[in-house]
Amino acid sequence: MTQVTVTVDEAHLRSIGTVARSLQASGMRVDQVLEKVGFITGSVDPDDEKSLTAIPGVASVDRSVTYQIPPPGSALQ
Amino acid sequence: MEPGIPNIPDLDPTTVPLTGLPAPTTGRFIVVFASGADAKATLARTAGLGSVADSRDFTAQAVDFTQTEGSDAVWFDKLGVAVVSAEPAQLGALRTAEAGDDAIISVSPELIHHVLGSDYVQGYRDGVNDLAGRLGAADHPAAQTSAAAAASFADNAQFTWGLQATGVSTSPQSGNGIKVAVLDTGFDVNHPDFVGRSVTTQSFIAGAAVQDGHGHGTHCIGTSCGPKAPATGPRYGVAYGASIYAGKVLSDQGSGSDGGIIAGINWAVENECHVISMSLGADVAQVHPPYTVVGKRALDAGSLIVAAAGNNADRRVGNFGFVGAPANSPFIMAVGALDQNLAMAFFSARTLAGTRGGQVDIAAPGFQVYSSWPMPTRYRTISGTSMATPHVAGIAALWAELTGYRGRDLWATLAQDSQRLLLPSVDVGGGLALAPQ
Repeated sequence: MTQVTVTVDEAHLRSIGTVARSLQASGMRVDQVLEKVGFITGSVDPDDEKSLTAIPGVASVDRSVTYQIPPPGSALQ
Repeated sequence: MEPGIPNIPDLDPTTVPLTGLPAPTTGRFIVVFASGADAKATLARTAGLGSVADSRDFTAQAVDFTQTEGSDAVWFDKLGVAVVSAEPAQLGALRTAEAGDDAIISVSPELIHHVLGSDYVQGYRDGVNDLAGRLGAADHPAAQTSAAAAASFADNAQFTWGLQATGVSTSPQSGNGIKVAVLDTGFDVNHPDFVGRSVTTQSFIAGAAVQDGHGHGTHCIGTSCGPKAPATGPRYGVAYGASIYAGKVLSDQGSGSDGGIIAGINWAVENECHVISMSLGADVAQVHPPYTVVGKRALDAGSLIVAAAGNNADRRVGNFGFVGAPANSPFIMAVGALDQNLAMAFFSARTLAGTRGGQVDIAAPGFQVYSSWPMPTRYRTISGTSMATPHVAGIAALWAELTGYRGRDLWATLAQDSQRLLLPSVDVGGGLALAPQ
């Protein structure tokens, strides 16, 4: 399963719940529905990933980037 | 009376230097009035100026000066400004009114302006040579510049060097009434320097409490919002009056992902945080699409996101790095790091050419920055664009308090009031962030 961030388009911000259900029906495991800024996060099988972009209300589907800061003892952080 | 259009003196711009002489004037005066003032009545009352031409009498307010030659003054209604022909006694009366009458804001001589001549090109050449010298192109003789004395700041008993360099140490503002969210490794909620502060916390790391098990988050919250008078050591925090929102989007091991970070942004925007500070990034040069959208939506909602430009440079060996995600996003303010001499910190990432939005927007102290650390260590000095970022976040809070500006207006204020430096904009954007004075 690949972690993805789904950007909900402006027109569907008020119906973000519907978009989330459609994503689930297409195979996405929805973790968070972030209503205020209009994003849905979760994970999906790479085989199903492309089909998510066709769902009404989906502006883009992006693979999650990870971030790492240096350890606490580092002089440069 | 002066004629409506004065004779413009015949000055040769190739022989008259651009600096050093007082600017030539027409003999008339520009009088600026307070909003709502009755200019005509004021001019008549204070200086006996009876005939005032009014821009509203002209079609589309395009004043025809051939028709105003006999007037004592011309009143520009949209601007609240009058151009006045005044005898010395009348001028004296206007200037006295300027001091005591609420209607008049200023009285200034009307200056004559010229198209810039060849001195401009000479000045440009000199500026480029100076910059070439600073960037290491030492062969050109003009590169040996005698610039103004270099800056050099140091921590003292009262303030860290960063608070001095940015003018925070002399700013009247505290960030009172402003909410600052710091999305990081969390916060040491038991740190003694924050007793009595308004602190709201939330963890976005599954299974982890917001308590900071790393230190980075506590350090950044210290820089952005630390106390005015710590019980021990110098003041190290900018917005000592702000409400703190500590969002844990990085684990105690220092790692995180888009899901947690965007959830943190969502929470901060939902809570109407005016400033969101993110001292995190990935060495990804491409703009990451979710952050373009979330940055814009946050700005629209009145939340300014500031993020670290990145530490992936090593300028000591000629590697300038690049601004990574999310700071490289066009609607997120990317912060570069300066050292105590206001030179670039060796690790501070440079704007990557050809990446729309992937630019450094502003710079702040980010080298050897003293701030809070989880107990029992209490304080630590570390470096990074991670340390520059909360300086900007705290300064943004001071400006937000002073001006009432939010979102894009707040970004513009920070850019406008930053100190221009003799450093490339690809490294410092608009310059060193400065606190209101």
